[in-house]
Amino acid sequence: MKHKPKSLAEVVGNKEAIQKFDSWLKSWDRGVPKKRSTFLYGPPGVGKTASVEALVNDLNMELVERNASDYRTADAVQRFAGLASQYGTLSGKKRLILFDELDGIAGTEDRGGLRTITEVVKSAMCPIVLIANDPYDPRFSTLRNHCLMIEFKRPSAGEVMRHLKKICMREDVAAEESALRFIAQRSGGDVRSAVNDLQALGQGKERLTYDDVSWLAFRDRKEVIFDVLRTIFYSRSCEEAKKAIDMADLDLNMLFEWIYESIPHHLKNPRDLAKGMDALALADLYRGRIRATQNWKLTRYVIDFMTAGVAMSRGKTEPEWVPFRFPERIRMLSKSKSERQMLSSIGMKIRRKCHLSSVRAVKEVIPYLRIIFEDNSEVALGIARWLDLDEDMIEYLAEPTKRAFIPP
Amino acid sequence: MWAEKYRPKTLDDIVNQKDIIERLKSFVEAKNVPHSIFAGPPGTGKTTAALCLAHDLYKEGYRERLRELNASDERGINVVRETVKTFARTRSMGEIPFKLMILDEADNMTEDAQQALRRTMERFTETCRFILICNYSGKIIEPIQSRCAPFRFTHLSRNDLINRLRLIAEQERVNIQDDGLEAILEVSEGDLRRAINTLQAAASIGKPIDEERVYSVIGRVNPVDVREMILLAINGDFIGARDKLREMILKYGVAGSDVVRQIHIEIFRFKEIPERWKIKLADVIGEVDFRLVQGADEEVQLSALLARLVEAGYEMGGGARRG
Repeated sequence: MKHKPKSLAEVVGNKEAIQKFDSWLKSWDRGVPKKRSTFLYGPPGVGKTASVEALVNDLNMELVERNASDYRTADAVQRFAGLASQYGTLSGKKRLILFDELDGIAGTEDRGGLRTITEVVKSAMCPIVLIANDPYDPRFSTLRNHCLMIEFKRPSAGEVMRHLKKICMREDVAAEESALRFIAQRSGGDVRSAVNDLQALGQGKERLTYDDVSWLAFRDRKEVIFDVLRTIFYSRSCEEAKKAIDMADLDLNMLFEWIYESIPHHLKNPRDLAKGMDALALADLYRGRIRATQNWKLTRYVIDFMTAGVAMSRGKTEPEWVPFRFPERIRMLSKSKSERQMLSSIGMKIRRKCHLSSVRAVKEVIPYLRIIFEDNSEVALGIARWLDLDEDMIEYLAEPTKRAFIPP
Repeated sequence: MWAEKYRPKTLDDIVNQKDIIERLKSFVEAKNVPHSIFAGPPGTGKTTAALCLAHDLYKEGYRERLRELNASDERGINVVRETVKTFARTRSMGEIPFKLMILDEADNMTEDAQQALRRTMERFTETCRFILICNYSGKIIEPIQSRCAPFRFTHLSRNDLINRLRLIAEQERVNIQDDGLEAILEVSEGDLRRAINTLQAAASIGKPIDEERVYSVIGRVNPVDVREMILLAINGDFIGARDKLREMILKYGVAGSDVVRQIHIEIFRFKEIPERWKIKLADVIGEVDFRLVQGADEEVQLSALLARLVEAGYEMGGGARRG
């Protein structure tokens, strides 16, 4: 969130739209323009709200902002916007009123609110900005007539990528081009989600690789998964918990990983956690049995334990709002795969010469080789030649290992 | 590597396991070798004895007449069967009509694989003799055991180990001090290979080899920080403990069964855990161990164990700890 544009120049793309918006806003200096409100519209995350906030910052204006949850009634709107649109600010700064997430207005109940907004727009003495994803919703037809319509389009993947690069530089993260491109392409022009993804993946890292980001394919299901998880962790009955599975078309194993990752954050009491983990362990046991016997009917038990079993473990833990985390393990698995392959190939080389299985070679010989390779390169080269190791293997073994020394 | 460089090449060079070596020498004399099981702790000379036997039996031609397989790498029944078939099928020229197959880590084979092995052993007994190497002969199925001559390898004596290490140190012109030697002996627990590897690693850090250098090697070589993981769990940090577990499994490739075993050992060493809790935990540990064999996810099962440890720690602290 700290990378939200503070000035209009930092907003990604949509130069034309921003230009239009900017000149409209500046025209208020010369008097009240014909259209007292502008309607910014376009897909999510492309910079509509960001542009308003950035420009207001640039021009040192006061921003009065409301969004979907506040449009309930005519009264509510009148209360906040009615007066504000008529009178000047105490500070002397110019004021701008923003109605964000207009799509959030519900059906008939909020009609009152919508009508009041239209009134405000017709008679306002200060700039009004409306934001919505779909302005051509029939509810907005009257409103549209009084507004300057400005479309925000999706920035190209290239533009998003450049933006991400800038952030990486600011945050001191060395990111591979392919990684940034992947994030940019996946975002489909939603800059906000691209930046969030970058932040989630790159936080605290010095280097971001393509492998790190490729799990993003799952992102589309994230919102659905959160609902399912919430149902599982906070249900009060087995029935309710089990229904979570039907909420969405999810891969069971993927769901398992999410539950497993999140469980210590949502079952904080140790007894609850132990019970919850027992349930998951049972679910996993059945997964193993299914794999071994190919008896897919056992799936119902996997579901029972991972939903109802986990839900019923909640005894003492107070419900609180805790975010769900992406299964760290999946990310680590792909990363460590190459490392394990390396270990395994070195193991095979050792096995030929030392009369050991490669499995034991990895456990019983490689740790010593690491020390020899790290500290003494002459001997190491001799051994490398004898074992027929290639460059990559030598480099891998010579890499210093950071580990604490524990006296016996 | 010194462990290979100084491996005895003929039966006469083997200093310990005297009775076994005598029997093996008589096989060479008779030019006949029965199917055999070499059982015993790691690093006690089983593979060496088998290799020396082959060497003495076949002299120069031993490379073609000897085949080594191990159960960890070549897992399936079919692999063993096919390899043996191809190997054992051809008759060998010369005085000795059979070939020798060394099957290492035989106790890692599933029962099914062992059954298939038994039939293969029977079928090709004219042309191929087997030497099965394992840590526990009890894990070999009875029908195979009854067809094999048993050889029990025992831990090497302290003196044997010391002499061997001093010999290597002298040959490699490495100055090793008494306290260094002691440290190596302590950590190798009778496993000569481990002792020699430790010696070589210590030598590469710097000479002379004293206690400090050896401990430095041990510290860097022991990736299984199980004790630390248990401590984290008992003190309420499930996530920290799980992260450590994950690191062990994913990054260092430690097998879940090894972790379980280590946990089992460590739990009983922990003074802070009350006795009745140790028993409760032993039950859970046993369950985890069993489930791992059933094909369950190692990390998940072990995490459930960690959660129990967290619970134990919480109970032990009278439930007053930050949970």
